Amino acid sequence: MKPQSAFEREPARRVFASELRETRYQFKDGEDEKSPTYVILPSGIRSNRIFIVGTLTEKQRQGDQNIYYRGRVVDPTGTFFIMAGSYQPEAMQQLARIEPPAFVAVVGKPSLYTTPDGACLVSVRVESISVVDRETRDLWVLDTARETLDRLDAFGTTEDSKKAQEEYGTRPELYRKIVYDALSQVQL
Amino acid sequence: MNLSEVTERISQKLEAKGAQPDRQKIESRLHRLIEEFGVNAAEAERTVTADLAREHNVTGVGNTSTELRPISEIVPGEWVTIEGKIVALTPPVSPSIAQTGIIADSSGAMRFVTWTRANAPAMEYGHWYRIESAVVDEYKGAPNLKIHSGTTISQMERDAPLLPSITPIAELKPGVGSVRAKVIQDWEVTHDRMLQTGLLGDETGTIKFVIWKEENKDKLDLDAVYNIFYATVDEYNGRLSLALNTAMYITDEGDIEVGRSETEARGALVHVAPGSGLIKRCPVEGCNRTLSRQNYCPVHEIQPEFRYDLRIKAVLDDGVRARNVLMQRDIVETLAGITLEEAIQIAETNPLGMDEIFYRIRNAVLGRYYTCSGNEFGGRLLVNSCTPVTFEPAELAALLNRAGGEAA
Repeated sequence: MKPQSAFEREPARRVFASELRETRYQFKDGEDEKSPTYVILPSGIRSNRIFIVGTLTEKQRQGDQNIYYRGRVVDPTGTFFIMAGSYQPEAMQQLARIEPPAFVAVVGKPSLYTTPDGACLVSVRVESISVVDRETRDLWVLDTARETLDRLDAFGTTEDSKKAQEEYGTRPELYRKIVYDALSQVQL
Repeated sequence: MNLSEVTERISQKLEAKGAQPDRQKIESRLHRLIEEFGVNAAEAERTVTADLAREHNVTGVGNTSTELRPISEIVPGEWVTIEGKIVALTPPVSPSIAQTGIIADSSGAMRFVTWTRANAPAMEYGHWYRIESAVVDEYKGAPNLKIHSGTTISQMERDAPLLPSITPIAELKPGVGSVRAKVIQDWEVTHDRMLQTGLLGDETGTIKFVIWKEENKDKLDLDAVYNIFYATVDEYNGRLSLALNTAMYITDEGDIEVGRSETEARGALVHVAPGSGLIKRCPVEGCNRTLSRQNYCPVHEIQPEFRYDLRIKAVLDDGVRARNVLMQRDIVETLAGITLEEAIQIAETNPLGMDEIFYRIRNAVLGRYYTCSGNEFGGRLLVNSCTPVTFEPAELAALLNRAGGEAA
């Protein structure tokens, strides 16, 4: 454990839906029960928190005893699956109040699930969600494009990106294309 | 002539080089040269030192300490000889210290300490001295000249005018420094012994200053520019501050455009922490602490006559680094579009009370992009100004070029 004074909050990485969807590799940094869990994003960085802005198109209340909400947030490249359960009461109530469709900003933790038929799903456990406007969405696309390009520029030079190469065989030019397409959808 | 002092000096020099000289042998040789051959003490010292150095196969003894060195070039761990002027004397903090103060030459200045055990002659303020074989070590991160029993001090017949070189505030290091600066803030003193404290600034940055109560010490005037010679630069928790008790300060004509060494950060507000929104503050003068919901101040207990305030404690995240930020009332009012009066009104009539204000403010700012600038203090950015980021088509174009440029 790090001493309290050295504590640094994990930054929220910016990632497009189509990249997060490809994420498969998850690891724990340290042996401790409380050690943070990270995923390695295909563009080559570890992440235990992400920040996304998109359109909430759908939300559903599920469960009887343990109520939780699921939702879909769409960005220019695809769909994020978000969920907020009773362990995140604030986030769950925030989500409960929002009526789709709406632009939302979500801070959350990415986690991997394997469905009974063997498919791997990435969902985002919501820490907070709030309604924003279109300009914020556009700013997020620019921000995410920039951060993704920064990661691709450094690809192959960092430990995390070597791990990504090993796990996913990432082709940086493919992700550049995704970034380009995402940017093209932003209206001037 | 006390030969034991000279003996001590020689043996210390040799021991510093790892040799184990026999003190009796040193003293008898000195005695022989001085008493029998009429050699003067300084020459005898030099001869004996050189002889012993040869016998013990060590080099560099003598030269290192008798060669005159400019103060600014001295680093901790050296034996040195310097010539300098006593520009400040401070009261010793312990009976084992005979004198402390600052000695300066044209290159710079350094704190010194004379141990009581050194039996050294007291030096007077404003006089020049040649100090041979003193040791420089590090004290509180700053070089410090130690005058011990092996050090020779001789007063010099010299009164050269000494013009201290001014250091920009951004380049100050622990030790001694001279600045030309403007008093930009005068703070409430936090201690009985404190005469004045506040903030000094020049073109390059700002620094906290303190003047401790002492006879003949005057306060600085707010907004005035001063030449401050030989202040003590202290370091505490990685932050520098100036103690002006060793310093001479004179007002200067002219004005200074103070450079704000502000940190700017741009990012999304990803978290609004509890304790944001409408808060209650302790009304006791100089306290200003946040009260609990039951109006309890950790120091002044229950305070029903609190006053309200608005603030945001949040995390601004640029995707690489998450920073804690703290925003004061005026900034909160602008960002959240709610004034303190309106907030109080809502809190006192709404069933959710102060929570309602927290939710309103959180919903207004959470997940949005801002550029904040301010001063970093204790791992938190104290925001002086905060503006929402706006969409720039040029930025989009640049990113499109960057993404498309290499894709083809």
